[in-house]
Amino acid sequence: MESGIKKPYRILFVDDEESILFAMREYFSIQGYDVDCAQEMEEAEALLAKVCYSLAVVDLQLTGLGGAEGLEIIGYICERYPSVKVILLTAYGGPEIEMEARRRGVGAFLHKPMPLPEVAQTVSELLRDCSL
Amino acid sequence: MSASLLDKILQPGGLSVVFQPIFEVHAEGRRLHALECLVRGPSGTNIESPDILFEYARRKREASLVDKTSIITVLREASKLCGEPRLSINVHASTLGRDRTFPSFLKETAEACSISLSRLTVEIVEQAPFWDKRTFLSTLDDLRSFDVQIAVDDVGYGQSNYQMILDCRPDYLKIDRYLVSGSHADSYRRAILESIALVAQKFGSGIVAEGVECIPDLDTVLSLGINLIQGFIFCRPLPRSELIASDLLHYDSAPRVLAICGL
Repeated sequence: MESGIKKPYRILFVDDEESILFAMREYFSIQGYDVDCAQEMEEAEALLAKVCYSLAVVDLQLTGLGGAEGLEIIGYICERYPSVKVILLTAYGGPEIEMEARRRGVGAFLHKPMPLPEVAQTVSELLRDCSL
Repeated sequence: MSASLLDKILQPGGLSVVFQPIFEVHAEGRRLHALECLVRGPSGTNIESPDILFEYARRKREASLVDKTSIITVLREASKLCGEPRLSINVHASTLGRDRTFPSFLKETAEACSISLSRLTVEIVEQAPFWDKRTFLSTLDDLRSFDVQIAVDDVGYGQSNYQMILDCRPDYLKIDRYLVSGSHADSYRRAILESIALVAQKFGSGIVAEGVECIPDLDTVLSLGINLIQGFIFCRPLPRSELIASDLLHYDSAPRVLAICGL
């Protein structure tokens, strides 16, 4: 029998920019989500090992050096935690990156700058079929 | 980009320490047996939680460095406690299995903090399955030669299994809270607790029940002959200042402890 009380979804944001993580935490917490933020790949991995997430929003570049560490994290999440929905958020990704991200299992691909309500809309759509 | 989490861990004041008492409980009373020294990560970060802190350190391949930094922090803080309580410190099996300098490091650090090595118990924690067993056992031998006692932490969880117990021949077995919590109402949990208590008896090891949080579970573990008790029922982990203020370091009777804990 259902209790009628729904647990909030837990979301992990992975980005090396503190200001973006701050904005995401504030906005999505107000929306009723439980939010964790990570600035490093290892930090994200440690959180994923200990906390159960419904969705992750990952930035393509984490080091600021022009890499594509986000793809690595996406592959890591999709392989080890297939129930976690993943969104790739980036200012730089072209069609090739998008194709590679989708091949690795990303559920949605968003371009920065993206208004927070639109990110929230995509999050909501991806979680629609996600059972807790 | 701001300083990495690893930088925050390693900088002075990056880690903090809380102490949780382990009580020896007998019919005639209870007394302090030891303090487990628990490390917390930088305040306000994801790694404030020790679980995530050491998972992060492991993924950074810096578990040994973080273990050593933790021990420096712990022993410095413990050196400011009054009296000479026995101290339990957590070390990962992977550190003991990879770092042959660990015993000399511990000796030097303890001496620098004026803490006798015979007051120390190294609690072996591990969730990762791989380390060099030969180095691991040699390191344990060295620690024992310094009069450091050995405990296997979280027995019944992760890699803290019978193989670990057999390899370590520990002075203490610390039973994971997963087995203790709710044991009063679960005959299967009680069966496992009983079997671990028997193993401890056969090995001549002390046995500590972790995570004791209610009277029925306390009664259960005591009835099985487990009389070293750690858990919120007596005391939550406390920072040094609160521990000293609580006077727990000097208590010697059950009514007093229970009164301090508000029970």
